[in-house]
Amino acid sequence: MNIAVCVKQIPDPAVPGELNPETSALKREGKLILDDSDSYGVEMALQLVTAAGGGEVTLVSMAPNNETSGLRTALAMGAAKAVLVSDDTLAGSDALSTAKILAKSVERVGDIDLVLTATESTDGYTGTIPAQIAEALGWPSLTFAKSVAIADGKVKIQRQTEAGFDDVEAPLPAVVSVTAGVVEPRYPSFKGIMEAKKKPVDEVTAGDLGFNPDQVGWAGSHQEIVEVRAAPAREAGEKIEDDGESHARIVTFLEGLKII
Amino acid sequence: MRFAFTEDQIALRDATRDLLAKECPPKAVRAQWEGEEPGPSSAWRALAEMGVLGVLAPESLGGLGLSELDLVLVLEETGYFALPEPIVEHAAVAVPLLNDLTTALTGTEIISATAPNSDLAPGATLAHSFVVGDENGLALVERGQVEIGLCESVDQTRSLGRIKWDSKSGQRLDDPRGKGQARGLVGISSQLVGLTRRMLDMTVEYVIERQQFGVPVGSFQAVKHHLADARIALEFARPLVYRAAWSLATDDPDYEVHASMAKAMASDAALLAGRKALQCHGAIGYSFEYDLHLFMKRAWALASTWGDARSHRSRLAQVIL
Repeated sequence: MNIAVCVKQIPDPAVPGELNPETSALKREGKLILDDSDSYGVEMALQLVTAAGGGEVTLVSMAPNNETSGLRTALAMGAAKAVLVSDDTLAGSDALSTAKILAKSVERVGDIDLVLTATESTDGYTGTIPAQIAEALGWPSLTFAKSVAIADGKVKIQRQTEAGFDDVEAPLPAVVSVTAGVVEPRYPSFKGIMEAKKKPVDEVTAGDLGFNPDQVGWAGSHQEIVEVRAAPAREAGEKIEDDGESHARIVTFLEGLKII
Repeated sequence: MRFAFTEDQIALRDATRDLLAKECPPKAVRAQWEGEEPGPSSAWRALAEMGVLGVLAPESLGGLGLSELDLVLVLEETGYFALPEPIVEHAAVAVPLLNDLTTALTGTEIISATAPNSDLAPGATLAHSFVVGDENGLALVERGQVEIGLCESVDQTRSLGRIKWDSKSGQRLDDPRGKGQARGLVGISSQLVGLTRRMLDMTVEYVIERQQFGVPVGSFQAVKHHLADARIALEFARPLVYRAAWSLATDDPDYEVHASMAKAMASDAALLAGRKALQCHGAIGYSFEYDLHLFMKRAWALASTWGDARSHRSRLAQVIL
């Protein structure tokens, strides 16, 4: 069982992010870290490979400045190797271009049975890339998995829904997006951390994957940032004078939030 | 000569910091203080799984075969988060002296140690065995071989115990040139540096948030000066602690002197930071419900154990004069 995990290296969320005033894109010049939401996919992949009794986990990532800090964290957790696509022409790539590049990277690794992704990144939130990768590869797409199991050449997931979950299955190879909390990510061991820097990272450019500069980055983007506005301030809550029936209003309110 | 930590050493520190931020928040320390969670914390088990307990153990015994310089930043983080278990006594004092580490590296066996010239050991309710000392050197004694008298400590997470042992019992440990004790001193000093950083961080955060006369109290010069004094003490202590770790790692003949310098400066820095933190917090700093006391009382306890600043300065004076 060989699994590719798409991981994003993002600016540390603990540090307030900044937008480039010219492009309105997020600044990514500094050190990047592994997106926390991707650690679930890495852990899931490691567990599936162990359960299968063989195979390895390969990381696939696209990042500026040949950044590998986040990849090293996932390699320290136990992934065997990584493919990093890094190239100045990629700056400004929209979700679809990114998905095409990640799909080509998966093909470059070869002999992959399953691709795991998070449902969305912590700094981008488009949530469209998993399905786009599946389409680019021509593989089934299974999304919002809260559990994943492999058996008889098929992947079976429990797909999180608002009401509960659906059982969904597809033949391998397939692309599965996993929700945060699907498994508890392990802490990288000291031994893993020291071995991680010796693990191979295949650094490639968009050109190496067969893309022309006009197909990626700002040039190849079909999306455009038209305007950036500050988030609206939180509105004051609703005050209810208790007339003896306010409990019913609270129940209705919680039902509206799908909490009960 | 390179005067900076390596990428690996920084990575090990960061991994420890990330783990403790999740597993050892003040709430977990408080739970130990109030006796709500008997037994080792989830942080202890996670640190053992990560390999922290075996940093100084040889690879042939399942450890990482690293040096005191690789451990010093890790122990500093355990101070920053006020880890309740006796990790210095276990990982820095006991582990490098033992030949069988089967249960010590997995953390299922917790080993505490008494400080030099003392019969007090922390983690007395948790520890399965103790490293103790007498005029003939160090020995490992099992819990069943000793009498333990639990004592009050200013820091209730420490479960301090008075260990009475028979010098004929236990297993004698080979501790050439008192390295075990020097490792303990440097380990406690690095925890004091971590505690100093923590109290300073908490106080800086507080004085930025707390407003008086329409401005943050941190904008007043008198408050700034207190915090600058604590920061200076921290920055003077830190290099001495790192140097002492380097001396141990490289077998510098003066490692005992350097360990004393580290403990004297780190104790002073932590006590000063505690005083300044308490003053800058105002009345809330005194309250049991506020987290500052968890770190301040640990600092008080560690500053006075393994020899206080005054005793280490006397030791230095004897060497120098």
